[in-house]
Amino acid sequence: MIDKQTTMAAAIAAVPDGAILALGGNTLHRGPFAAVHELVRQRKRGLELVKTAGAYDVDLLCGTGCAAAVSAGFVGFETLYGLAPSYRREVEQGRVLAKEHACYSVIAGLRAAIQGVPFMPIAGMLGSDLPAARGFQTVRDPYTGDGVVVIPALMPDVAIVHVQEADRTGNARIYGTRFEDLLMVRAARHVILTTERLVDGVTFEAMPESVAISGFMVDAVVEAPGGAWPGGCAGLYDFDAEYLAAYIAANKDVDSFNQFVTERILDAEPMLAAR
Amino acid sequence: MTTTGEPAPAHDAPVMMAVAMSRLLHDGETVFHGVASPLPMVATLLAKQLQAPGLVYLNITGSVDPRPERLPVSTVDPALLRGTRSLVTLTDLFDLASRGRLDVAFLSGAQIDQQGRINLSVIGDFARPKVRLPGGAGSAALMPSARRVILWRTKHDRRSFVDRLDFVTAAGNVDRVVTPLCVFVRRDGRLEVESIHPGVAPDHLQAQTGFAIAVDASTAVTPVPTAEELVMLALIDPDRVIDSEFAIG
Repeated sequence: MIDKQTTMAAAIAAVPDGAILALGGNTLHRGPFAAVHELVRQRKRGLELVKTAGAYDVDLLCGTGCAAAVSAGFVGFETLYGLAPSYRREVEQGRVLAKEHACYSVIAGLRAAIQGVPFMPIAGMLGSDLPAARGFQTVRDPYTGDGVVVIPALMPDVAIVHVQEADRTGNARIYGTRFEDLLMVRAARHVILTTERLVDGVTFEAMPESVAISGFMVDAVVEAPGGAWPGGCAGLYDFDAEYLAAYIAANKDVDSFNQFVTERILDAEPMLAAR
Repeated sequence: MTTTGEPAPAHDAPVMMAVAMSRLLHDGETVFHGVASPLPMVATLLAKQLQAPGLVYLNITGSVDPRPERLPVSTVDPALLRGTRSLVTLTDLFDLASRGRLDVAFLSGAQIDQQGRINLSVIGDFARPKVRLPGGAGSAALMPSARRVILWRTKHDRRSFVDRLDFVTAAGNVDRVVTPLCVFVRRDGRLEVESIHPGVAPDHLQAQTGFAIAVDASTAVTPVPTAEELVMLALIDPDRVIDSEFAIG
């Protein structure tokens, strides 16, 4: 058994500038937000983010200059706070490329990568301008002659997933919705887990079918209690509405945004910030 | 943003919309909503308590027929897991739609045109937009593959109901569109006013709609919420989570 436990700083140091980076969770729920804060602290550049539906993570990485492109179906704060302010501004000003997907096309791209094939056919997409705008091709089904839209394989260089329970070798349990995390773990070249609790893997032997992620697919494990904050983590804590409202408010201009990032993220003690 | 200083509709718009959306669901149907969908969440829970007890309620958390104790404002919240006896994945739900087994998907658009197509991508040019919108989430995949799509939009103005979309994020099997002013039905590929909500003037509805519609004093009026609907709605959504959709830009 390989002990893969490391520090947040060391795990994130392995994410190269320019990486295609998949982030687990969905909108404000069980996203690896402590790891996202560490990406900001390490001033990563040129990241291409992969997510079905992103919120604070995608917005912050755009606003701090870490992200150059976003492959996602949806980026926003739902009806809580509406549009994602930094994502919106950075795309409108041409500094971030919005590689819009249907959520299902992100899934299709990940599935192609998982299966080791160059592309994946998907149903739907008819009548949408997205295939033309994004260069998703239609090919002829060799069996029936019908057309079908195909999504190119989407292989993240790195996936970061936050879980409730993991052992030092990367076996992990996810409580509640798994979102697209298991697809990301299988599709990515390098997998970082952050976990609320580090447990002895022996405890998984009684019910291995409850373990969502097999450790041999994982490269690094970081103990990060509160690691989804300011998002929520099923069964443990809700998202931090007060912090998020302050974040949205700070987006009103560059100075207040930079001040917020400095005070609440860069100068904050990482594990204290992670509650 | 309202485009004019027009008088507000006389009815309680969030309640009227929730009830009108709920009435469109039938017993036994499989029904799905995604992120940012408080009205579909409440409408589906309401339908299950009234005309559609056998409806299968699916949502982006993967829960099946949940019985939430408190309704979340984020419709991806684990509060929507309570009472479910199994979990499916979002991939399972898209796959279900793809093979023709999803009866109803609730979707929305920042812009909606007369064909019932939606734009949730950009205002202006796709590559260098004036406004970058959140993106269509699953709509480009679901609109052509779900058997029936119900659109909802909490603003009914000429910026939302447009003659021409800036970008077609998704098109497909739209059946109804529910707004604070009316219910549209799609017939022969075009939206027509099926009913106008109580207290809404026909000329106001036309003035707020950016494409031509046939509406006059003879247009059907959406039945007001019944006492039964109102009582059940108050039990399901005592904190009025549905109002959150009217609070944001």
